[in-house]
Amino acid sequence: MRRSILSAMALAGTAVLAGAAPALADEATPVPTVREATKAPGQAPAASAEPSKPEATTDPTPVASVAPTEAPAEEPAPGQVSVVPSGAPDTGVAPASAESGNETGLVVGGSAAAVLAAGGAAVLLVRRRQATRA
Amino acid sequence: MTSLSRRAFATAAMASLLVSCGGPRGESQGSTANPASTPRPSRSSRSSANTAHALGRSVPVRLQIPAIEVDTPVIRLGLASDGSVQVPPITADDRAGWYRHSPTPGQVGPSVILGHATVGAYGDGVFRHLARLRRGERIVARLENGAAAVFAVSSVRTVAKAEFPVDAVYGDVDRPELRLITCGGPRTGDSYRDNVIVFAALTPASP
Repeated sequence: MRRSILSAMALAGTAVLAGAAPALADEATPVPTVREATKAPGQAPAASAEPSKPEATTDPTPVASVAPTEAPAEEPAPGQVSVVPSGAPDTGVAPASAESGNETGLVVGGSAAAVLAAGGAAVLLVRRRQATRA
Repeated sequence: MTSLSRRAFATAAMASLLVSCGGPRGESQGSTANPASTPRPSRSSRSSANTAHALGRSVPVRLQIPAIEVDTPVIRLGLASDGSVQVPPITADDRAGWYRHSPTPGQVGPSVILGHATVGAYGDGVFRHLARLRRGERIVARLENGAAAVFAVSSVRTVAKAEFPVDAVYGDVDRPELRLITCGGPRTGDSYRDNVIVFAALTPASP
């Protein structure tokens, strides 16, 4: 009876002691981890290794190793089209001015020919009249 | 008494063993909170893989397309008042223009360069023969910082302006690409019915 009581007490005592240490450790480590985790996104998107190692002496190395690789990777990232234009670009002005120039040339030429024809007809009429009078 | 103490010791050892086995699990759970941050390294490695050949931001100053004998200065273009993209001015010395709201050539994303097929009374524009380009042919964009972005033609499309593929031209892509745009197809009045679009991707030949 005594043995079982003693062993039960020893078990309970050990369990309490053994449980207390991890509990304390649990409390201690998450606090910086959480803080660092909340700081990390605000400061730099890179620091994934930072949270677990801020207290250790390895703190400078993860920051140094992560930041440079992230920086050039982010540089081209904003390179997508920031403002999408509407509609299709009008990148071809057909030589319409040249065509219209030809058209006006044709019009001028045609009217000049009409004037010449009319003049010739008038000359013919005058000559015929003169011939009939004579 | 000695057997009693042995038993007590053995029980205590068992108990501490059990607790210590549970402890690390808790810690590992704590460290799985870090794996929430493991996507970051993988993301950075993914982006570094995508940007393996990507160049830094530098404005294009010259465009060369040996296959169609194009060697032209490149000006900057923005948006017109109606929200459409600006085009280079109609001048005798026609030039290509880079849309400044797109990435510079060699950056991740679709860099957009426009040029005229014809410039009215001045005749042919710099992109007159753009539709003749074939898959694999080289396009070189000289940048302000002295670097050159070398692209290879992926495809050439002629599409009706009414059905201009906005997403395909201006949509996000995960590698450095180039779009060359001009007009094509039959004339409709002073303009053309279609657009000719060249899709090109950065080649490893780029420095």
